[in-house]
Amino acid sequence: MTTNPISMSGKHALSVRSLSMSYGTERVLNEINVDLRAGQVLGLLGPSGCGKTTLLRLISGLLLPDEGEIEIAGEKVAAPAVGIALPPEKRGLGMVFQDYALWPHMSVARNVAFPLEMKRLGAVERKERVVKALDRVGLAAMAERRPSDLSGGQQQRVAIARAIVAEPPLVLFDEPLSNLDRELRETMVEEIADLVGELNLSAVYVTHDQSEALTLANHVAVMRAGRIEQLATPDDLVNQPKSPAVADFLRLGCLLPAVKDSDGWTVKGTNLRLPAAPFDGAEAEVLLPERALSPNGSGTEKLQAEVVRTQMHSAGQALSLRVSGTDHLIRILTSTPVRSGELLELSFLPEDLRWFPVAAQAT
Amino acid sequence: MAGGSVATGAEGSSFLKWTATLGLLIVVAVPCLFIVVQAIFPEFGSGSFAAPFSLFFKTLADPDLFGLAGNTLILGVGTVVCAAILAVPIAALRALFRVPGALIWDALLLVPFMIPPYIAALGWIMTLQPRGYLEQVAGFNLAPLLFSVYGIMLIMGLNTFSVVYFVLSRTFETIGARYSDVGRVFGAGQWKSFWRITFPLAMPGLAASLLLVFAMSIEEYGTPAALGRRIGFEVLVTGIENRISEWPIDLPGAATLSLVLVSMALAAFTLQRWLLTRRDYRIVSGKPQASDKRRLGVWALPVVALFAFLSFLATGLPILAILATALTRTISGGLTPSNFGLDNFRELLGSGSDGLVALGNSLALGVTTALLAGLLGAITAYSVVKGRGRFRIVLDALSITPNSLPGVVVAVGIILAWNQPWLPVTPYNTPFILLLAYICILLPQPVRYATASLHQLGDNLEAAARVSGSGPLRAFVRIVLPLILPSMVTAMILVFAVASRELVASLLVAPIGFQTIAVYIWQQFDQGSAGLGMAMAFCALVITTLIPLVLVSLMRWISKGTVAGLN
Ligand SMILES: Nc1ncnc2c1ncn2[C@@H]1O[C@H](COP(=O)(O)OP(=O)(O)OP(=O)(O)O)[C@@H](O)[C@H]1O
Ligand SMILES: [Mg+2]
Repeated sequence: MTTNPISMSGKHALSVRSLSMSYGTERVLNEINVDLRAGQVLGLLGPSGCGKTTLLRLISGLLLPDEGEIEIAGEKVAAPAVGIALPPEKRGLGMVFQDYALWPHMSVARNVAFPLEMKRLGAVERKERVVKALDRVGLAAMAERRPSDLSGGQQQRVAIARAIVAEPPLVLFDEPLSNLDRELRETMVEEIADLVGELNLSAVYVTHDQSEALTLANHVAVMRAGRIEQLATPDDLVNQPKSPAVADFLRLGCLLPAVKDSDGWTVKGTNLRLPAAPFDGAEAEVLLPERALSPNGSGTEKLQAEVVRTQMHSAGQALSLRVSGTDHLIRILTSTPVRSGELLELSFLPEDLRWFPVAAQAT
Repeated sequence: MAGGSVATGAEGSSFLKWTATLGLLIVVAVPCLFIVVQAIFPEFGSGSFAAPFSLFFKTLADPDLFGLAGNTLILGVGTVVCAAILAVPIAALRALFRVPGALIWDALLLVPFMIPPYIAALGWIMTLQPRGYLEQVAGFNLAPLLFSVYGIMLIMGLNTFSVVYFVLSRTFETIGARYSDVGRVFGAGQWKSFWRITFPLAMPGLAASLLLVFAMSIEEYGTPAALGRRIGFEVLVTGIENRISEWPIDLPGAATLSLVLVSMALAAFTLQRWLLTRRDYRIVSGKPQASDKRRLGVWALPVVALFAFLSFLATGLPILAILATALTRTISGGLTPSNFGLDNFRELLGSGSDGLVALGNSLALGVTTALLAGLLGAITAYSVVKGRGRFRIVLDALSITPNSLPGVVVAVGIILAWNQPWLPVTPYNTPFILLLAYICILLPQPVRYATASLHQLGDNLEAAARVSGSGPLRAFVRIVLPLILPSMVTAMILVFAVASRELVASLLVAPIGFQTIAVYIWQQFDQGSAGLGMAMAFCALVITTLIPLVLVSLMRWISKGTVAGLN
């Protein structure tokens, strides 16, 4: 990964080297490499089944890898090659689960106190820190309740308090917000972001929601089929997706297949012209980023598109457009009202296009 | 909880793993092993491995064995037929029609589960024997029927048919609501859709419950012993008991017969499990939905009469006979007002009486068995669920083996294992031997409850404890055990109810002079003090069913809402 920070184990909250893992014959994780500096958040983003949870469980010690190494805060915790495999309780982590995993037979306070109990802290200090942690998530008043008497959001806050109460060097989040409804999710993302910032936590945050990852993480790893497709800052990810798959997963815009003939580049199967590509080759996929397109704008390149569907949003009108002469759909947001069936002219700048060369297929 | 071939970093505690293994080896594997060894090496008792198989084949070729095995099969099949004839019609009526008072009949038909079969059989003897209660009330007796092979089948059928009734009426109802209605939409009449759709779909469930009845009846000791001995009808269970308790004692013979009996039970059990897990023709399960049940119309009265009659035979009559015997001063005095009195109870419960001692023994043994079997069951289930590979298979197999071990076989195994002269110390001849026998017989119950309950727990509850810094043993004690406790308590109450009145193993392995409830009842009946025996039977019924019932409902009530997802 070229965008990795340089490996300096001492300062790393987490570093993962060539990690692989199989379920039976099915290889679920393949040669994963990640480094995370202390005080930073790594987002793991990817479609369902790509191995995010598996990677997190490997880091936590709930699973053991087949190959590779994991270091947490400079200590090797898993390295099958040299026979190191620390159990989860020896790794000193905090973890927030998708299903909260609060213990239903203990009160909220006892749930949160559990990691401190395991560290054999005295009762007085324990109580103090539990109150502090619950205060941080705004639930100090609910300490004596049963988890089952709390709402989903409150339960997840308790789980977060439990994960941070022992001030672990690394906190793992496994899709903590996916069981909550959208509004709550949006406020809680901000709460978690604040918490992470205030406590200067190092964290790995798994999600399949790109806005969560882009909001919270300093670095985001986009995973696909057991590999890291791209590891970059949110900014780079959006502006320089490394592959069509990343662009597609992040829904950055419309991906068009392009071919080069004697006159230049066209959209495959049509005679729609495209500006010149910055590389040699005969075939490519080209990304038309949503943000680069504007109706009636001042871009030098023009594109005709028919409005297929419109949908009111709080931020404006979301349009689905079909590029004229093709089957390709584009989505954009606009503030000027339009109706289905209307033809719009979209404009963009050639340098906004992202080109992904396709290797010539052997025939 | 996930198990499988992947290296889970959060293995279960190895302390628990070895505890479960050791416990199962002592309780289950050792008795089984000694039966096999004894059957093969007849001189094993005197420390010699001489003449292997010499008696094994002799016993197998013994016409006695054919007689016993044949009788066992006849009794098993006959009981199954009786149970099916009794259960299928009322199950179908219950499922398809609005039977008046359906819930009352359901409740009454639950009672046979709570009456130990030997007590019911004794009640039937008191009723049908010459000058029994039937003759006193109606002027005739049915002794020739009762003391016949058919009589034994019928009595055992009456003891077991409610198993079939409950499985089948539920299955009929579920299928009826789901599939048969579809058939009716396509034009089949109600009866046609019952015969063509509901009944065939219910076949696996019916077969599985009948196999359970078969297994129960070939393992039963009390009824064939009480009724069959008078007419010389011996089955494997009574044959084994004879060879152990009567001179000349024939241990190799008992061991070989045990193996034959276990093979039969195992075959029934395996077939039943296969039926229950088959995928293609899966037994329909699930909640019966409210469906449009037919009105009975003019048939309401005869149907209610049928339900009432069967409930009376299965529940009312044995209990009334027990009460009548317990409450009359002398049997010969009959059912006359002057003969009624509490003398039997007074004698039974008088201070320092044998009866009180037996009650105390059984209660103490029942409670201890429940606690130990519950703990071992929980640890075993946890180790199986968390375990991997061959280890898991062995542990799993050992924990369900007792399902196909009849009480009499467990007793034989325990005698063979712990009565060896070369053992420096042995629990034999102490009450602990009964504890070993009861735990072995009843272990499958807590294991089944614990396994079901563990599968309900989310994986992550234990994972969260491990990540929070708790070792595997502590995670089990602090998180897993409290969460499965409610269903473990239910299992332990069940174990208590059965263990505190277990008959055949108690008869065979109890130390000399040590009495339990069942042994006391059995001996009083043998010695002609039926009144005293039945007074004890009544007390036993009350103590071993009412107390657990109250406890269970109390627990449901207490734990309501505090332990989510359980109960
Ligand atoms: N216990 C298991 N046995 C076999 N295969 C498994 C097991 N658990 C997960 N897998 C497989 O491993 C792959 C990765 O699973 P994982 O749970 O890590 O996905 P994920 O990225 O977390 O997906 P999601 O977003 O749906 O949570 C999937 O293809 C899954 O089918
Ligand atoms: Mg996942």
